[in-house]
Amino acid sequence: MRVEYINPFVESAFNVMKEVLQTNVRRGELYLKSTSMPVMGVAAIVGLAGDVEGRVLFDMEKNTALAIASVMNGEELTAMDDLVKATITELANMITAQAVTKLHELGFRFDLTPPAIFTGDNMEISNHEVEALIVPMETPYGKVEINVAIRERG
Amino acid sequence: MSPEKTEGQQKVNESVEQKKEHTEKIDFKMVTFALAGKEYGIDIMNVKEIARASKFTYVPNAAPFVRGVYNLRGDIISIIDLRTMFHLPAERKGEDILESLIILKVDDNVFGVIVDSIDKVIGVSSANIQPPHPIFGDINVKYIKGIIENNGKLYIILNIEKLFTKEEEIKSEKNIAPVALSEQALEKEQSNYVINESNTTDLVANFIKETLYTYKHFAVTPVNETWFNARYEEWKSIKKNQDLQLKEASEADEFLSTFFSPYTSALWADEYAQAVINALPDLNQKIINVWNPGCGKGYETYSFACVLKKRYPDARIKIWANDSDLLAISMAPNMIFMVDDVPEIYKEFMIKGKNGWTFVQSIRDSIFFEFHDVLNSNPLPPLDMIIARDTVSFLSPVEQKRLLVDFGERTKRQAFLMLGLHERMPLDGWKEMTTHQVVLYAKSE
Repeated sequence: MRVEYINPFVESAFNVMKEVLQTNVRRGELYLKSTSMPVMGVAAIVGLAGDVEGRVLFDMEKNTALAIASVMNGEELTAMDDLVKATITELANMITAQAVTKLHELGFRFDLTPPAIFTGDNMEISNHEVEALIVPMETPYGKVEINVAIRERG
Repeated sequence: MSPEKTEGQQKVNESVEQKKEHTEKIDFKMVTFALAGKEYGIDIMNVKEIARASKFTYVPNAAPFVRGVYNLRGDIISIIDLRTMFHLPAERKGEDILESLIILKVDDNVFGVIVDSIDKVIGVSSANIQPPHPIFGDINVKYIKGIIENNGKLYIILNIEKLFTKEEEIKSEKNIAPVALSEQALEKEQSNYVINESNTTDLVANFIKETLYTYKHFAVTPVNETWFNARYEEWKSIKKNQDLQLKEASEADEFLSTFFSPYTSALWADEYAQAVINALPDLNQKIINVWNPGCGKGYETYSFACVLKKRYPDARIKIWANDSDLLAISMAPNMIFMVDDVPEIYKEFMIKGKNGWTFVQSIRDSIFFEFHDVLNSNPLPPLDMIIARDTVSFLSPVEQKRLLVDFGERTKRQAFLMLGLHERMPLDGWKEMTTHQVVLYAKSE
């Protein structure tokens, strides 16, 4: 993944999460991952198109998703209902959109696809021939892993 | 304090712990297995493969822990029962029941050991390996490299090299015992001894190889063997044959100091850049696709980009430069120079900015710096050229082979490969056209 793409995603993830959660967020060490990876329970995915092709995946445990959705909505949510799913999707959308805006300022043209959300236990995502950058974010509500895989259109 | 909050805090603690685990460097992999209900590990570098087999051919007069010999796809290897060797209870299975075997390779000897069950491969940080405690019961402390904790389980890491020499010792002990020795056995013992004698220097060399890999992740393979052998001779004369072994990272650095290609982590000087220009053959392509795995801070990539621009002024040049060191490569796209540092040859490709000199947009646009691990797959267009100076040598032997094969598969029919000054391409299909400072290969059918 191009070096120029990394910072916009890291920064916007940090900024948006800090703002919506109104709390301290810590960024973990970045690393690369290949082939299939287990999903913690809730995964929101946003596709990227334009000069590049790829996707951004937001991965967290169900409890984390519920806690984050509760904070963002200002009410206690206990079940994985439509509101929770919509909230997590929106968070994914906000972070990706801000990153894409930053990239646009740097001269890279990216388009977004509408986000989708997957929930369930023991899920695994396989991407053939794609290497992903993992940005772990630690919040008081649990860990959110942002998994970015982008490649140049060949 | 509300219960939810405590849960939240717990989560933080958990994730902090997880993070710690992440940041620890995994540099030691071991195959784990069970003997009499306890967990053990063997350095994966010693493990050739794992297998299941039965019906070993009994060898008369062998030590009790030698179960016999086995035909492993044409190679006859001896099979040792680790449980008997360590005086642990071993369930004697029927003739036809398959035993779990770990096939080990120590120096040039291949042999199999029987264990109760093989578990999996675990990667750990060698810094966490604790020395064995002297009161370990079952196995003599000499043969234990250390103890490591992983996922709540304790693993005893066996020192296979030592174990194997123990076997020899036991054999000779047996020979001393008042058992009538056949002449053949005596002869065998003597020849063993002679082999050991002639191997002593090689043992030191092997030890150096291992330490280079441990400290610097530098693996001696046919890629760099010529350099290693020459350097080893040189090392002997520097050290006057005393204290040859590398005991710490700084000594490994010193040993490797002559390995690196000219102008590593710096722009290539005029003279070297000119040498590269002279070495490069004529090309008619309109677009030249270049791959630069292991570009580090990017000096090499910029130097090569300028060299290519000078050599092929009409072609469009595209360089994909990768490195898995995020810190090094993240500075690469926006590198700034003081003009005094810059060799003459690059000046025409640079412009003055606010803080110093940078490369012109056309050079910068020709390079894609990517945070990428060469061992993961990454789509690239068919390549005309690969420049990988001193990159291959720092992968494990298996990874080296894989990357070298990859070089062949990713390139077009007519393509060129530049390696580090002391690296050679061991695979077929490449024709060497090295000039004195530039190691270059042309792909040949």
